[in-house]
Amino acid sequence: MTGQPIAILDGGTYYHHFAFADPMVADRVDTVVTLRGLRPAQLAGFGTVIVACRSNPDLLAEAAEALIGVLRRGDRLVVLGENEPTGWLPGVRETGVPTNYWWWLDPAADLGLTLRTPDHPLFRYVDLQSATWHYHGRFDLPQGAVGLIDCVEGGPILYEDRVSWPGTLLVTSLDPIYHHGSFFMPAASRFLDGLMAWLRASADEPCA
Amino acid sequence: MTHTVGYLQHRRRALPNWTADAPEGVDVMAVPETELADLPTGAISALLVGMHVDQCLFAANRAWTRGFLAAGGTVIMNGLLAYPFLDGLARFQPLPRRSREALEVRIVEPVHPILRGVSAHDLSYRKGVAGFYGRGQVPPLPGARVISTLDHGTVPLDWEWPAPGGGRLLMHPGNDLWMYAGGPTSAARMAHQMLAWAARLPGFGEDAA
Repeated sequence: MTGQPIAILDGGTYYHHFAFADPMVADRVDTVVTLRGLRPAQLAGFGTVIVACRSNPDLLAEAAEALIGVLRRGDRLVVLGENEPTGWLPGVRETGVPTNYWWWLDPAADLGLTLRTPDHPLFRYVDLQSATWHYHGRFDLPQGAVGLIDCVEGGPILYEDRVSWPGTLLVTSLDPIYHHGSFFMPAASRFLDGLMAWLRASADEPCA
Repeated sequence: MTHTVGYLQHRRRALPNWTADAPEGVDVMAVPETELADLPTGAISALLVGMHVDQCLFAANRAWTRGFLAAGGTVIMNGLLAYPFLDGLARFQPLPRRSREALEVRIVEPVHPILRGVSAHDLSYRKGVAGFYGRGQVPPLPGARVISTLDHGTVPLDWEWPAPGGGRLLMHPGNDLWMYAGGPTSAARMAHQMLAWAARLPGFGEDAA
C-alpha cells in the first residue's frame, strides 16, 4: 500500500480476529500488531495506529506509553469504543450512558444522534444512519477539538482532536469492530467499512 | 465438600456479581488468564471461559486445557471460537442467513441440566431482539451431544463433548451464558444451573438427563 502505513492492535479476542480477517479491515491496514506486551518500537513508522473496540483496558494502560507516543510524534491515533480511554489517555474524558439497545423496535423511535460537522471528510464515507445502532458513552470535547457526531444526552460520541497533541486523535464510543466481528448489527458493519475506507484514503492522501 | 469453579478473568477486577449466587457447595474463584498455565489442574473442577477473554492466549495454553480435560475437568467455553484449542475443533461459522426465523433457538430433548426450565423463546429473544444467544456454530466434535440448535433445528448451537479421561467441554458459541443472570426471563436460571452442572452437584451430573 502507498501512503502512511496503518497498524491495528490485536487483543486476541474472537471479535478482533474475525473483523481483522475481513477484507473490509484486512485490505485497509498494513500490519496487525499484538497488543499484549506492546513496545513503543513496534509502532514506529506507522502514520495511523488503531486501537480496536473492546480491547482490554488493563493492557491498554500497560501500552499507554507506546500509544501516547504516536500522538507525541505527530501521527494519528484512532481509539474505538469501549476502551475506557479516560483511564490511560490524558485529556480524554468519557462518561458512560445507559445503552439503549432496543430503541429501533419502536418504528417511531430515534436514537437521537446528530452530525455536528457534516462537511468533515469522514462523512463522505459514512452517513449518520450507518453510525446509528447504539453507543456506550459521550465525551467532554477538548477545547479546539472537532465534534463529529453528538448524542441526545449532549456531547460528542465521536470527535477529532488536532490541537491537544502534535498528532491527531480520533476517539469514539462506537464499537463497530466488536459488532462486525460478532456477526451482529449490520449498521455497525457499514460504519466500519466506511471508517476504514476513510482512514485508508486519508493515510494515502492527507486531505481525503 | 466444596467444588471450586474457576472463572477465567481478563481484567484485574472483582468477580462479576452473578458469581455470588453460586449454589451451595460451589465456590467461584478468579483465574487470571495470564496465570492459567501455572494453575494446578486439581485446583478447580471446572473453568468458565467468557466471550471477552484473549482467545489467542487461551489457545496458547492448550497443553494445560488438554491436561485439565484429561484429568476430569470441565471447560465451559463461551463466545465465537476464533482460536481452536483442541485437535479437531474448527472456528466459528456464522449462519449464512441471519433472519429472525433462522436465529430462533430450539432446545434438544432431553433437556440439558443447564437449560432446565428455560424456554426457547427466552433464549431466542432478549427484549424482542434475536441473535444474542447464538448466530452460528462451532461444528461439534465427534461424539458430542447437541443441546440446542438454530435455523429450524438444522444448525447445532450448544453442545457437550465427553473428553477422554472423564472431562467435559461445553461449547456455547454465543454471548456469555451468564449474561442473562438477574434478568426477568427464564434465561436467568442458566447461570446458577451452569455452576451446579460444572460442579457435578447431585441431580446435575451424569445422573441427570
